[in-house]
Amino acid sequence: MSDIRDEQDAHEFRAEALSLWRITFSPLIWAVYFTVSYGTAAVVCAKGGAGAVALLRLGIGIGTLIALALILWLAWGAWRQWDMPRDREWENDAGTSEDRHQFLGHAAFLLAVISFIGVVYVSLPVLLIGSCG
Amino acid sequence: MRLMLICLSFLALSACEGRQSVLSPAGRDAQDVLSLIWVMFGGAVLLWLLLAAIFVYVTRVEPREMPRRWGEMLIVGGGVIFPVILLGALLTYSLPMMKPQREADPGLKVHITAEQWWWRVDYELPDGSRVTSANELRLPTGRRTGLVLNAHKVIHAFWVPALGGKVDMIPGRETYLSFFPEEPGVYRGQCAEFCGASHALMAFETVVMTPEDFAEWLTAEAEAATAPASGEAVRGAQVFTREGCGACHSVRGTPAVGQVGPDLTHVGSRKSIGAGILNGSEEDFAQFIAHTESLKPEVAMPSYNHIAPEDLRALVAYLKGLT
Repeated sequence: MSDIRDEQDAHEFRAEALSLWRITFSPLIWAVYFTVSYGTAAVVCAKGGAGAVALLRLGIGIGTLIALALILWLAWGAWRQWDMPRDREWENDAGTSEDRHQFLGHAAFLLAVISFIGVVYVSLPVLLIGSCG
Repeated sequence: MRLMLICLSFLALSACEGRQSVLSPAGRDAQDVLSLIWVMFGGAVLLWLLLAAIFVYVTRVEPREMPRRWGEMLIVGGGVIFPVILLGALLTYSLPMMKPQREADPGLKVHITAEQWWWRVDYELPDGSRVTSANELRLPTGRRTGLVLNAHKVIHAFWVPALGGKVDMIPGRETYLSFFPEEPGVYRGQCAEFCGASHALMAFETVVMTPEDFAEWLTAEAEAATAPASGEAVRGAQVFTREGCGACHSVRGTPAVGQVGPDLTHVGSRKSIGAGILNGSEEDFAQFIAHTESLKPEVAMPSYNHIAPEDLRALVAYLKGLT
């Protein structure tokens, strides 16, 4: 009996440990996207030739789409984990394993939202300026 | 009493007009900055009114508890969706303004280096040659001029409010700014980053001219100095040599080739003396030469208060003749 219980606990802990990691994924994508796009733009603008800027814009455009798609996918997973529309529970502060699980979903979802907005704002100069200015 | 205070505050506003003001733009870039200011200010006022209205509504008009649904909508709508759209719109409005600032070919380029506490100004001609001047910037209307900024020892900042934004000048690192002036006139620029004892005394005049006038001026500025015309000016040139002025100052076409201080080749035609602190009359020249250290604390040039009054007059005649 107690063995089964321990095993369940261990399994649950592994799942929660993973979703604890998962809340960092969207901000991490945002950070990597920010660093790579600004870094590449700086290097290409300093060293690239005439056609390089068009290629750079295309590359950053594709990178933006990939980053947004990944964040959307993470957001969808987090939204389901939060499970808000079913129980209309915004806060999960009961200290039960279910609440812990849903709280981590909630946090991951909010971080995904802000990362999505961050990526969109970071990409705006590529759309609106379009040169090495 | 309150009315009087309000009236007095309008008096303070009148100081915002003029040749060193973002509220009196004389070029495209300054116009952009002003538009941004008004849009941001107007938006902030609207937002404040909206929030005040909501506050009055929930505390006075309808102080009951709101349905949960409304509260959720207010938080998600007012806290997430509305600011995201508003900030997105502001970014979309303001980002394209940066584009003309960095046009690939600005035509004329001017290299400006900040010293303590004056400005080295070099006009780069299309053939790559340089025309050196100091403490005054001249720009043509109707086209973009690039300003390549640098500093010698400490950080300064370049700012001509009537013409555009403000950019730091950093030793060992070039920064860039460009202006598209539209109205001829004389506008005041100012160092906008604390740079030592005489920071507040580090200014300059920016003269915006029509393209024809500018071309004529630049040709004249590229020439060597005019030889002293009067007997007094000839004697002044001797005083200039005797006092060793040429060790620090350049006067092209003469043995004076110093690079420590401002170039004086055409100092007589400048609108100011001492980097924007005095007007450039004979009296101002004499004051600046004799009382440099009190007029500009800690500056490298010593006060030449030992020069006899008639020698000083001759020296001023020589310098004023360098047009």
